[in-house]
Amino acid sequence: MKPMLFGTPERRLMGLHHPAESRPEVRLAVLLCPPLGQEQIRTQRLYRVLADRLARIGIDAFRFDYFGTGDSAGDEEDGELEGWQRDIGTAHAQLQRLRGDRRIVWLGARLGATLAAQAAHLVPDAPARMVLWDPVVDGAAYVEELRAAHVDAIEQSYCIPDRGLRRRLADEPEAFTDDLLGFFAAPALRRQLRDISALRLPLAPVEDTTVLADPDNAPVARWVEGQRSGEVPVRLAPFRHPLVWTSDPHPNNAMVPAEVLQRLQAELRE
Amino acid sequence: MKEFPVLFGPGDALMGVVTSPADGPSVPVACVLYNMGATYRAGPRRINVKIARQMARLGFTSIRFDLSGLGDSAPPVDPKGFMAQSVLDLQAAMNTVETVLGIRRFIVIGFCSGAVNGLAVAQLDPRVIGLLMFDGFSFPTGRVLKERNLRRLLALPFNPAVREKTMRWLRRKVNAQAPDIFSYEAADAGMERYREAVTRLLERGTAVLALYSGTLQAHDRGRDQLSLLGDAQLLQRIDYRFVADIDHTLTTVASQRIFLQLLGDWAVALAAPGPAAGGDPGASTAQRAANMPPLVRQHRSAPDAADAPAAMSMSGAPLRSG
Repeated sequence: MKPMLFGTPERRLMGLHHPAESRPEVRLAVLLCPPLGQEQIRTQRLYRVLADRLARIGIDAFRFDYFGTGDSAGDEEDGELEGWQRDIGTAHAQLQRLRGDRRIVWLGARLGATLAAQAAHLVPDAPARMVLWDPVVDGAAYVEELRAAHVDAIEQSYCIPDRGLRRRLADEPEAFTDDLLGFFAAPALRRQLRDISALRLPLAPVEDTTVLADPDNAPVARWVEGQRSGEVPVRLAPFRHPLVWTSDPHPNNAMVPAEVLQRLQAELRE
Repeated sequence: MKEFPVLFGPGDALMGVVTSPADGPSVPVACVLYNMGATYRAGPRRINVKIARQMARLGFTSIRFDLSGLGDSAPPVDPKGFMAQSVLDLQAAMNTVETVLGIRRFIVIGFCSGAVNGLAVAQLDPRVIGLLMFDGFSFPTGRVLKERNLRRLLALPFNPAVREKTMRWLRRKVNAQAPDIFSYEAADAGMERYREAVTRLLERGTAVLALYSGTLQAHDRGRDQLSLLGDAQLLQRIDYRFVADIDHTLTTVASQRIFLQLLGDWAVALAAPGPAAGGDPGASTAQRAANMPPLVRQHRSAPDAADAPAAMSMSGAPLRSG
């Protein structure tokens, strides 16, 4: 594994390259697009282990942090979706520089999947394929999920939590939108998140896109169906998993569920 | 501010990020940040990144890194047991900062179970001049625990969140779920070992800040979390702070700001010439100075502030740059 800084001096990003260890006949590289905030913290180890496994079976993997997240430069105040879409393009270009001889597949999880879908329209050389895992297709619902998770986290954490939290959550729509589980969200980002909608999330016509989602996730199913009716090559693959996206790592919610690792490896290898 | 990733330790197995002020460190002290439980080097809510950058604004250098086998660090080739390995890892982090930037005085910041690792390395390594233990060791008397439970009981009828927490606790007891090895209750290092270790540190002139949050209790009548120590003189020598408005994982941006301010003020006072904050008030400045390693010396390989590397391997193995 080789860490590196890349991108422009004004927008330095942290990346980690996992070079393929063998099997020169495998000509694939994977760009891992992380989720946001607490979901990124939660999946860091999963992405690390996945990248190692991919490298062992001959697939290059590249992980990175968006500007203002993880170890990349920038503050949380600077975070916004359009910049992050460009960061995916920058990471894609970096991976092309490292392994331009390989087909590049993008794996995105949660908001990372949404950003990947958006960014695919922006890069001059689109990825060969995309695997989008539990994409966010309803931004307003996503913000509500995070608000509720934020209040739940505070209530779980304090010895005697403030009993007014739930009233504020119910009665004040803007409460807890600037502080999403301990990650600051500037007004521009909040607007952008709420604007995410299946109607405004067209898939780029890359060779193939696989969407992994819970079979009961109706909004994602409808979104995929809508894309297919526009003749975009996309398939919906059911994927139920035990990962709780916004939880802290603890023994009763495995950090790297084996079934998740196996499924993602299989989808990326195809 | 300059930041660069670094691989260090035996076989370059440890992964970290060094942060230093843009014009070079103006304070000859570096902060050492590492994992809280299983969370990677960024820390819960990315707090370690925020600490490192805040401290850089105050003139301090920091290194945040993953202990062996956590985050992006590889497991050790010759494992020594978790505690012994973590001490070696922390020393490797300090060695790296000393080699690259010539800094030989360190503040170790341990969150939760990290406080145990922090105390262990501070005892062994005189380069540690300050140790912050956040929600670390906890030795409350029966009175403290009863008062906490009574407060919760009184809140139960009026606070749905307290009712739910109580039900979750009961369900865990009934279902006998796996022990939470990364819970905020610190590993049982033993009260006597804690007493001896902290006494040694204070006699050496190392500042000890024991900080507790509103997760462990809602009120603190006076050093409640260490009340079982029963040693009034020792307790007075520890810089003990309770902040009800912050919680164990700094879940809110507001609690993070309180923490950052407190840490910054403490570290600046500690690094300033003269009596160190939290140090032994009985020791003279001369005694504390005599116990401290030499200050920053210029090191030939230290990167100029304007030329921080894109990545660094302490073994000299080539790393790609972007």
